[in-house]
Amino acid sequence: MKTERKELLDSLRGLYSKGYTYLVKIYAIDYVKTLNAIYVVRNLEEMKEEALEVELDPADAWVPSVMRIYKAADWYEREMQEMFAIVIRDRDAERLLLEKWNGTAAPLRKNFAWSEPYEKMG
Amino acid sequence: MNTRINIGPVHPSTHGVLRLVADIDGDTVLNVEPHIGFLHRGVEKLVENRMYMQSPTYMEKLDYAAPMSYDELYVATVEKAMGVEIKERAQWVRVVLLELQRIASHLLWLGTTANDLGQFFTLFMWTMKDRDIILRLLERASGARMFYMNMRIGGLVQDLPPGFGESAQEVLDYLEKRVKKYEAYLERNPVFVGRTRGVGILNREDAISLGVTGPVLRASGVDYDTRKYNAYYVYGKLSFRPQTRSEGDVFARYKVRMLEMGESIRLVREALDRMPDGDAVGMPVRLITPGAKNREARASRETPRGEGIMYMIADPQKPYRLAIRSPTFVNLAALQHIAKDCRMADVFAILGSLDIVMGDADK
Amino acid sequence: MPISSLLAIAPLLPASISPGSLTGELIGIAEYAIAIAMVIIVFDYVFGWLERKVVAKIQKRHGPTYAGKYGLLQNMADILKLMSKQHVAPANSDRPMFLATLPAMLALTLFLVMLIPFSPTFSGSSSGFVLLIVLVLVSFMPLVIFMNGFASGNKFSAISAERSVVMLLSYEIPLVLVVATTAALTGSYSLNGIVGAQSQLWYVVLMPIGFVIFFIAMLAELERPPFDMREADSELIAGWLTDVSPPYYMLALFLDYSRMLLGSMLIAILFFGGWNGPVLPPIVWLLIKVFAIAFFIMIVRVTMVRMRIDRLLRFGWLILLPLAFVNLIVTYVLLIG
Repeated sequence: MKTERKELLDSLRGLYSKGYTYLVKIYAIDYVKTLNAIYVVRNLEEMKEEALEVELDPADAWVPSVMRIYKAADWYEREMQEMFAIVIRDRDAERLLLEKWNGTAAPLRKNFAWSEPYEKMG
Repeated sequence: MNTRINIGPVHPSTHGVLRLVADIDGDTVLNVEPHIGFLHRGVEKLVENRMYMQSPTYMEKLDYAAPMSYDELYVATVEKAMGVEIKERAQWVRVVLLELQRIASHLLWLGTTANDLGQFFTLFMWTMKDRDIILRLLERASGARMFYMNMRIGGLVQDLPPGFGESAQEVLDYLEKRVKKYEAYLERNPVFVGRTRGVGILNREDAISLGVTGPVLRASGVDYDTRKYNAYYVYGKLSFRPQTRSEGDVFARYKVRMLEMGESIRLVREALDRMPDGDAVGMPVRLITPGAKNREARASRETPRGEGIMYMIADPQKPYRLAIRSPTFVNLAALQHIAKDCRMADVFAILGSLDIVMGDADK
Repeated sequence: MPISSLLAIAPLLPASISPGSLTGELIGIAEYAIAIAMVIIVFDYVFGWLERKVVAKIQKRHGPTYAGKYGLLQNMADILKLMSKQHVAPANSDRPMFLATLPAMLALTLFLVMLIPFSPTFSGSSSGFVLLIVLVLVSFMPLVIFMNGFASGNKFSAISAERSVVMLLSYEIPLVLVVATTAALTGSYSLNGIVGAQSQLWYVVLMPIGFVIFFIAMLAELERPPFDMREADSELIAGWLTDVSPPYYMLALFLDYSRMLLGSMLIAILFFGGWNGPVLPPIVWLLIKVFAIAFFIMIVRVTMVRMRIDRLLRFGWLILLPLAFVNLIVTYVLLIG
């Protein structure tokens, strides 16, 4: 299910009220032209899953934080920010999760120069 | 007076791969924050640069306590992307091997948790010996003791060796006795019960909103098990019941895993009895060209630690993107919320009850 | 009171030195101290080996086998290894205090073992109040641990030090009550007197509750599981020993087993009739009992899960203390009064 960035919170709230209370995963895919953030939520009563896909501009990649709806989003969002340099707004600026880069490098994006030595990675 | 202490990365309970930053007041822990990433290898990126069947070896090293389950999860994702049917007998064999792997993983968990609770390696040694018997069985089936590489697209590398069923039944008889013995040994010990019961309670609502999976979720009273609701392979044909408890404390998580071991033993017996004859060998590596049928694939499996999911965007030669939802990652994220205002000793009881494998959390 | 009444060493004195003079007494005490130090070292060594083997047996392992017959030389190899390592005191530690406490505790243990008789003839003290002195000094040990924990400047050690004091509060009063009951039953605080009174019937039969309380309190006193919260390796790394460097850690190991000897001897003397027994010489009987009790303590170590510190406090105040009173009252009503 595709959605717009500005409608993301509303659609997630709508899903939450319909019983999709369990956040399965937040991940991103770099399609080079666009950067897609995907929110997978699950309804544990009816065993149904929904995936919300948000297309982002790679040069201006940010999404609002969904932590107020799903507590489980905390680490996923931090991981996504670290690996894709997708800025998460409306949440406390916290340390990153895994490698603690300085925030500009995006290792899982396709343009990441992964053959360069560690010092140059940013 | 608040003090901030570093538990780990060099600490007997976190053994170099996890750091907990704790705010303590005397012996009371006010807040614990896990810092992860000590074992981060960037597997998701590595996979993007390798051909499909070069990757299972990375997948096995994600969860080194239950390598077979991750191997199988990855192969299942590729199978979904290729749209191949898995051979009938191979499905049964996979269920047998995965359940044996689950018992081995839970035995390891039991031993290390007893260590975290302050026992001097006794239960650890006993369970490691029992686990070793299972590993020997898996070695007979796959040829390797720890990192099996036994899954092939559409089946397995090789069928079960002759006589596997009989020796597996013997092992299961032995294990059933041992598990009962461990249960009696621990639950009759008032110190163990006192250390676990009512400690680290995670209620149903919090468990769902924190997104925990596997035994941790089931111990909080949520009846969710992928083996039942996704019913992959032949789990739908087997008489399988998810094990749940409603208390949500450390004891409930312990009990769920003990019951799961019994359930796995039953499942393996049943699968061995009803296993059909036929061919179980998968297709050769050179025929693997996913992406032709489904560009997007998703597989979800109940690993010993919880529900592992892989999302794959498949290109013909290499995966374009592989996103891994690892169960330890979410369970460890919940530690911060469970271990609040508890005793110093409880933090390690809770940490043990989450059954963390840091390779799984860090990816 | 002359020193010799506390440490009766008359039989060991050289004849040329008159027993009455201070010089003679000091030389005698030094001789006895050296003799006891030898005994303690031998015991520590044997206990260390025995514990490894017992623990290994229960855990279905082999334990040390390579160095010497049955791995008997393994501890020697370990001692050499620990001795050959560098000694470091942490920069933010209170250096003199940190370095002084472990030797001080060893000396304290040595003195305590000197006070306890091994047999009617092999004994250090003829004082009638030895049991009281032993009690006072034994309860002093957690305070030394407390000092060491804070002196090392490590946060884990500081937590361990706090726990040490909490533990002291929980088990010390029941321990003293049981000892007082034993003394009242005998009518004396002299260990020789207590052993003499048990020549017909052991006190473990007369006051089983008292024995259980004393054993549990002694386990806590000796930092043995399930009461090893001070060292709690899965929580506090090594507790008050976290920052101790290898040569000092060797002292800590010696201290551990010396205290085990002390505890086993006290249990044997107070509840199992000390050196009373037929045929064999008294000292052999005491050694048999000491080893049996030490063996039991080792078995408890491998089979128990560690208790939580607040639960120990509750256990001490709500279970051990009332039981100790029950033991006192029952003993008074039935046996003394």
